[in-house]
Amino acid sequence: MRMRLVWTAGLVACSGLSGSVLANGWNMPVGVTDVSREIHSLHMTIFWICVVIGVVVFGAMFYSLFRYRRSRGAKAANFHEHTTVEVIWTLIPILILVAMAIPATATLKTMYDTSEADLDVMVTGQQWRWRYDYLGEDVAFTSNLATARSQVSGESAKQENYLLEVDEPLVLPVDRKVRLLMTSDDVIHSWWVPDLAVKQDAVPGFVNENWVRINEPGIYRGQCAELCGRDHAFMPVVVKAVEPERFDAWLAERKEAAAQEAMGVDREWELDELMERGEQVYGTICASCHQPDGSGSPPAFPALAGNQAILDDPDYHIDTVVNGVSGSAMPAFRSTLNPVELAAVITYERNAWGNETGEAIQPAEIAELLDEQ
Amino acid sequence: MWRVIKSVLAAFFGVQKESRRHEDFSRGRASHFIIAGILMGGVLVLLIALVASLAAR
Ligand code: HEC
Ligand SMILES: [Cu+2]
Repeated sequence: MRMRLVWTAGLVACSGLSGSVLANGWNMPVGVTDVSREIHSLHMTIFWICVVIGVVVFGAMFYSLFRYRRSRGAKAANFHEHTTVEVIWTLIPILILVAMAIPATATLKTMYDTSEADLDVMVTGQQWRWRYDYLGEDVAFTSNLATARSQVSGESAKQENYLLEVDEPLVLPVDRKVRLLMTSDDVIHSWWVPDLAVKQDAVPGFVNENWVRINEPGIYRGQCAELCGRDHAFMPVVVKAVEPERFDAWLAERKEAAAQEAMGVDREWELDELMERGEQVYGTICASCHQPDGSGSPPAFPALAGNQAILDDPDYHIDTVVNGVSGSAMPAFRSTLNPVELAAVITYERNAWGNETGEAIQPAEIAELLDEQ
Repeated sequence: MWRVIKSVLAAFFGVQKESRRHEDFSRGRASHFIIAGILMGGVLVLLIALVASLAAR
C-alpha cells in the first residue's frame, strides 16, 4: 500500500514536470509550416519512444538490483553466452531504428525539395547583419539590429524583444513556396528561425538552399546560430509573414522606392537632404562603434568628431568608408550601402557634432568611384 | 564456402554461436574469411546505396 502510494506520487510528479516543461517553451515549437509540424511530431514520437525504452531498461535494472540483492541470498548466475537473447536484443533496436528512420527520411525528402518555388530570396550573412535580395525583383535591403545599445550596456531597461528586433524585417507571403538561397560575404553564419523549422548555414563561396511555405501571418523571430565574431548575438532574424495580396503590394512599393533611389544617384542632392539620410544610416550602422555623438572609444574606435585626418582629406574619408581599413575592425561598406547611403553618411560625418566643412558629397561621385574600382 | 558466408553474416550482425566460432578457428583459413569479408562489405555498401537511391526517388 505504502509502495503504491510512492509510485503514484512519483508518476504524477514526473508527468506534471514533463507537462510544465513542454508548456513553458523548453520544448521545440510546433511552428507555422507543414514541415515544422512534421518535425515537431517526429520529435515527440521519438522522444516518447526514448522515454519508454528508458523506463523499461532502467526499470529492469533497478528491479533486478533490488529483487536479487545479496542480503536476500541471491546467487550470481555463471553462464557465458546465450545466442537467442543476444539475437533478440540486437533485433529489437534494429527494428526500432528502422521504424524511426522511415518517417524521418520522408520528412527530410520534403525538406530538401526546393523545386517549383513561387519566390526566390537570397539571404546573405554579413558581420553582423543579414541582407535579403528578392531575386528578379530588384528589391534588396539589409536588416540591422534595432535594439538600442543603451539596453545592451544596461543604461536603459531591456524591452520585450531585446536583441530580437530589426529595422527592416524579411517580408514573406503566406501560402506560397519561398526558396531561400543562403550564402555569406565573410565568415560562416547560420540563419535560424525556430517557428519555420529552418536552421541553415550561410557559408562564404557556397549557396545552400532551403524553403518555407508559411501557413499563418505573423512575426517570427530568430538569430544567427553560428558563432561568427564579436557581434554574433547582435544579428537577429525577423520574418514578417503577410497575406499574398499585401505582400504583392509591399513588393511593388519597394520596387518603386528602389527605382527612385537608383534615379537619386544621378541628381544633385542638397546638404540638408544628405544630412537627414546620413544621420539615419549613421545611427543604424556606424554608431555602435563610433558612438552616436561621433566620439568613438579611442584608441580602439577613433573619434570622428573633430577628426582632422578625415576633415582635411575627403578622398581619404571616402576611401576608408567604401573600402574599410584592412586588418582593423572598420568594415568595407561598398556592398552593404548603396551610393546614396554612402554619400549621405560621409556628408553627415563631415558636418555633424561640430564638424563644419559645409561640403555635400554627391552620390554620383561615389557611384563613379565604385564603377572605377 | 556457405559456412564462411554464414560466419561473415554473423559478424555483420554481431552475434555468433560459441561452437561455430570454435569450428571456424580450428578448421577455416583466415584468408577465406578476409576475402569474403571484403567482398560482402562491398555488397553491403551497394545495397545501402540502392535503398538510398530508391528512397530518394
Ligand atoms: C565594427 C566597428 C566599426 C563600424 C561599424 C564602423 N567603423 Fe569606422 N572605424 C572602425 C575602426 C576600428 C577604425 C580605425 C581603423 C584604423 O585605422 O585602424 C575606423 C575608422 C573609421 C574612419 C577613419 C578614421 C580615421 O581617423 O582614420 C572613418 C571615416 C570611419 N571609420 C567611418 C565609419 C562609417 C561612416 C561607418 C558606418 C557606415 C563606420 N565607420 C562603421 C570601426 C568601425
Ligand atoms: Cu552570424
